[in-house]
Amino acid sequence: MRKYSESIMKVVFLIAACVSIIAVILICVFLFASGVPAIKEIGISDFLLGNSWKPNQELYGIFPMIIGSIYVTAGSIIIGVPIGLLCAVFMARYCPKGLYRILKPAVDLLAGIPSIVYGFFGLMVIVPMVQGSLGGSGKCLLTASILLGIMILPTIISVSESNIRAVPEYYYEGSLALGATKERSVFRAVLPAAKMGILAGVILGIGRAIGETMAVVMVCGNQAIMPEGITSGVRTLTANIVLEMGYASGLHREALIATAVVLFVFILIINLSFTALKRRAD
Amino acid sequence: MKKSRLAKILTLSLSAVMIFSLASCGGGNESGDKDITVISREEGSGTRDAFTELTGILQDDVDKTVDTAEISNSTSVVTQSVAGNDAAIGYISLGSLDDSVKAVKVDGVEATVDNVKSGDYKLQRPFNIVTKSDLGELPQDFIKFIMSSDGQKIVEEEGYIMANDSAENYKASGLKGTITLAGSTSVSPVMEVLADKYKELNSDVTIEIQQTGSGAGIQSTLEGVCDIGMASRALEDEEASEGLTSQEIALDGIAVIVNNDNAVEDLTTEQIMKIFTGEITNWADVK
Repeated sequence: MRKYSESIMKVVFLIAACVSIIAVILICVFLFASGVPAIKEIGISDFLLGNSWKPNQELYGIFPMIIGSIYVTAGSIIIGVPIGLLCAVFMARYCPKGLYRILKPAVDLLAGIPSIVYGFFGLMVIVPMVQGSLGGSGKCLLTASILLGIMILPTIISVSESNIRAVPEYYYEGSLALGATKERSVFRAVLPAAKMGILAGVILGIGRAIGETMAVVMVCGNQAIMPEGITSGVRTLTANIVLEMGYASGLHREALIATAVVLFVFILIINLSFTALKRRAD
Repeated sequence: MKKSRLAKILTLSLSAVMIFSLASCGGGNESGDKDITVISREEGSGTRDAFTELTGILQDDVDKTVDTAEISNSTSVVTQSVAGNDAAIGYISLGSLDDSVKAVKVDGVEATVDNVKSGDYKLQRPFNIVTKSDLGELPQDFIKFIMSSDGQKIVEEEGYIMANDSAENYKASGLKGTITLAGSTSVSPVMEVLADKYKELNSDVTIEIQQTGSGAGIQSTLEGVCDIGMASRALEDEEASEGLTSQEIALDGIAVIVNNDNAVEDLTTEQIMKIFTGEITNWADVK
């Protein structure tokens, strides 16, 4: 009897494991099956490197959106990583216990806020600020980068903090014993030792930033043009899909699914490099 | 050594910020002659289709909306963006207009329910329902309800304009069954309210509403997938020749909105067209 229940549970666990794998495979199959024919019909170079996206004139070039996604993500990394990293160092090495009890849940809360709420915050607070200081409409590359920079903070902070904590204490103590100050020990001995783990956190952050949709769509302006500066509006790959999916039909719809294929490939590359780094870090 | 480098970086970045803000101050304009921020809707939106057609932005079937126009995918984001930017211009359904923004007069005519009804306000579109000739008894009764004074009152309460203001009252029929509607996402909100009310009066009826867009709705009606199609545009000749009939259930104005602080009160259709196609880029040019 006991033996039976054990093997039954084994099967249950196996099924549970399979469900998630099947979901991934189904998504892959669906995306590629409906996206790849569209890319073929449009022409792969016209699709990936075409400069204009005008579905009503049968022009489906997503190059501005690819560049837009890359710019916005890069901007969010420039803004989010230094702040996140320094915050993680503070939390792991400098933070008094009492403050930590507030800081840690606050960071976790930041991760739990729905992205549409971030979007509204961006629209009501960051957009007017950028508009006031730099002119223009305020919906631009910079605004989207700032907002995404805030959104990726929790990912970077929590991954970096746990990796800094994982560095053996004798690195720090040894450095102190050699006469280095506390700052020097933290930044020159502990941080380099946690380098790989921190980098993995940054890559997770990139993944979050590039896939973010609802918040970005509200603050980036969504012009399907090549951004000319940090106050120029951009449209990201995700924004392109969510903006037009509701009304699209025919080739237009397939072109949007093909956009999702490109995004999927981006995420795949990011995840693979994350796994590779993780393996090197361990 | 560490500290001095940190100090250097700090000074550098601080001075960069200062130069940056000074430069942006120098470039600032007096209010009133700012560059126009054009806000449009996404490709395929019914509101955008109607707006570009009515103002002549659609030239030879090509939508000439300027590339640098900001794109929003909902009425509320358009309103919010215009409310927060004193150089912005956008367009929304008249039914969604509120105090946070100002609707400009078009060719000297104010965007009001009365002016849409009288036909003086040019930027208006019909909300249509599309049916085939062999319509069942139940869908017919639902249409009777929409066109009755009760149905039309709901249309008006939702902020649209009645298509029929001398209608009779509706009496519950006691019919049973399911009605399927498909089509325009602009028409759907008011249709959902109408359906709820109808279900209150006829408790044995189920109404399904699918938001698929005007074109797809008309297509499904033609194929018999749904009973009634919803469209926020008129039927094209091609569609009408295949045996479909359309009926106006409401009128909707499209309000051209600017910031409350904007001094502009009145724009001509041509000026609106030029603004949205990028020929006019500064508010000083429309004074």
